[in-house]
Amino acid sequence: MSTRVLDAGTEEYLRKIREGIRQGRFPVRVFNDEAIHEIEQERLFSRAWCLLAHESEIPSPGDYVTRYIGNNNIIVARDEHGVVHANLNMCRHRGNQMCKAEMGNASHFRCSYHGWVYKNSGELVGVPYMKEGYEGRLDRKEWSLVRVRTDSYGGLIFGCLDPQAPSLADYLGDFRFYLDFYLKQSASGVEVYGPPDHWVADTNWKICAENFAGDGYHTPVAHQWGFHLGYFPSSGATHSQGWAVSIPGKGHAIGLGHSPNFPPFGGFPDDLVEQMKQTFTAEQVEVFSKVRTAVATVFPNLSFLMQPLSMTPGEPGVRFVTMRLYHPAGPGRMEMYSWCLVPRDASDEYKTAAYKAYTLAFGQAGTFEQDDFENWIKVTRTAKSTMARDLEFPYIMGMESQRDPDFKGPGHVVRPYVNDTNFRNLWGRWADYLVGEV
Amino acid sequence: MVGNRRVDRDTVAEIQEFLYREALALDERRFRDWLDLLADDITYEVPVRVTREGLAEWELSPNARIFDDTKETLEIRVHRLETDFAWAEQPPSRTRHYVTNVVVDPTDRDDEFQVFSNCFIYRSRGDEPEPSLYSVARRDIVRRVADGWKLAKRFAAVDQALINAHNLSIFL
Repeated sequence: MSTRVLDAGTEEYLRKIREGIRQGRFPVRVFNDEAIHEIEQERLFSRAWCLLAHESEIPSPGDYVTRYIGNNNIIVARDEHGVVHANLNMCRHRGNQMCKAEMGNASHFRCSYHGWVYKNSGELVGVPYMKEGYEGRLDRKEWSLVRVRTDSYGGLIFGCLDPQAPSLADYLGDFRFYLDFYLKQSASGVEVYGPPDHWVADTNWKICAENFAGDGYHTPVAHQWGFHLGYFPSSGATHSQGWAVSIPGKGHAIGLGHSPNFPPFGGFPDDLVEQMKQTFTAEQVEVFSKVRTAVATVFPNLSFLMQPLSMTPGEPGVRFVTMRLYHPAGPGRMEMYSWCLVPRDASDEYKTAAYKAYTLAFGQAGTFEQDDFENWIKVTRTAKSTMARDLEFPYIMGMESQRDPDFKGPGHVVRPYVNDTNFRNLWGRWADYLVGEV
Repeated sequence: MVGNRRVDRDTVAEIQEFLYREALALDERRFRDWLDLLADDITYEVPVRVTREGLAEWELSPNARIFDDTKETLEIRVHRLETDFAWAEQPPSRTRHYVTNVVVDPTDRDDEFQVFSNCFIYRSRGDEPEPSLYSVARRDIVRRVADGWKLAKRFAAVDQALINAHNLSIFL
């Protein structure tokens, strides 16, 4: 992947941003800056492992979805042998978009311009007028769809545009311990309940990524209605209880909210709790059983939330899991993909209840999501003004905090749950990619 | 149409007026009045639309929903709007629901009618000069009750697959 050479002033500016983040300052400018957006495309999204799909979205041979990595549209397809392939959604002949649907089933893709035909694996198999036109000079093997490297973890299919980047296992590192909470709640893992909500918003992907990296601070205010009416099983007085966990040098982070008196694994049906006790390690059970809210970002733009929601104030309610992907569609503009994940082995009754709780709280009409996006578009718009754009925000909570010695999970673990530690780690990693030191 | 039965003009006119009054309650933000127009067993659904090839089995997801509501959850949403903390609607959206193309068909129940309509929604927020526009296909079930009509089912499909709005804090 070639990257543009930036002028010395820009390189110096990026280094200054990184230094600021280390000292607990974050620049307002980066939410709307066109140059930063372009640099992110070239230096971050072209090198990091990015989510493409969950394997349950394409369960059968021929199933495909189209997704983005950075500004590249990618076809993610399962071939006739069950192997998943990811290819740039562009015909190699004259560049037409090959696949115009977001999902479907096809053994082959045929270009609607001159008719080149590719297998769903990306291999070029059909060229009209091969003999008469190309006179034997076209080697089909050289003109397959452009392949994207893929790997998977816990059913998540990731793609990486950089052939030199370390493996996905290395990229995720110790964060896999926490990802399991979202991905391995039943012996056979989780599945998407259905296709994701998909909408656009005039905000920046980084604001969402940060919020889901463990912003326990915003919850009692931004979602005050839920506390006020009792639908959210926490109180303003105890809400800061819990842990903020970040994986140093990786950027991944999770916030683990704890409520006193909240039952262990509260909000899960008993049979799932039994399965989790089998699937998870003793350390995972110890950590996860105490968690009410688990909110995480896999660097750079993939997030998860597990949360119980009750239709009856005061009761533990039903746990749901949402997975979200923030597609950077431009400076100050993004596309949101929001899925609900359900344990594959759970009863239909639980899956339906979890989905209903998810739609009431998250997704485009979710009562928590609505308020978040209202705040995020206002942050983005306000950050554009000439006075605002040269300012910085304070990221100094927990600068001196030490690792919690009693916590059984990996990573840098601090208390309380209201903390900037995760965000400094997230933005530190972001800045590493922007300066090109990863 | 079920068999050759047609719905008489008075019924069609009453159902049209019911839909207009429902829209008026929403646009005037009289959400308790709006709840009163909904049957206790209402299902209120906004499906996820996916861009698919023309011959695909479905375009509206059979199970994924943006709204997947019952009377109970709609009451929670309205209750929330009555607090001071529903930030998404502070200050409130100004909406206008334009209901057109109303087609009424009988069902196998004498007191219920299947009602197709188009609903175009204009939503203005704050001092933003650009409104959000939603073109919506509704497939409702409207039920005759002792003192008028109730909405027994709303299935409202937004025409955009990638919806051009930061949230849906309004009712469709």
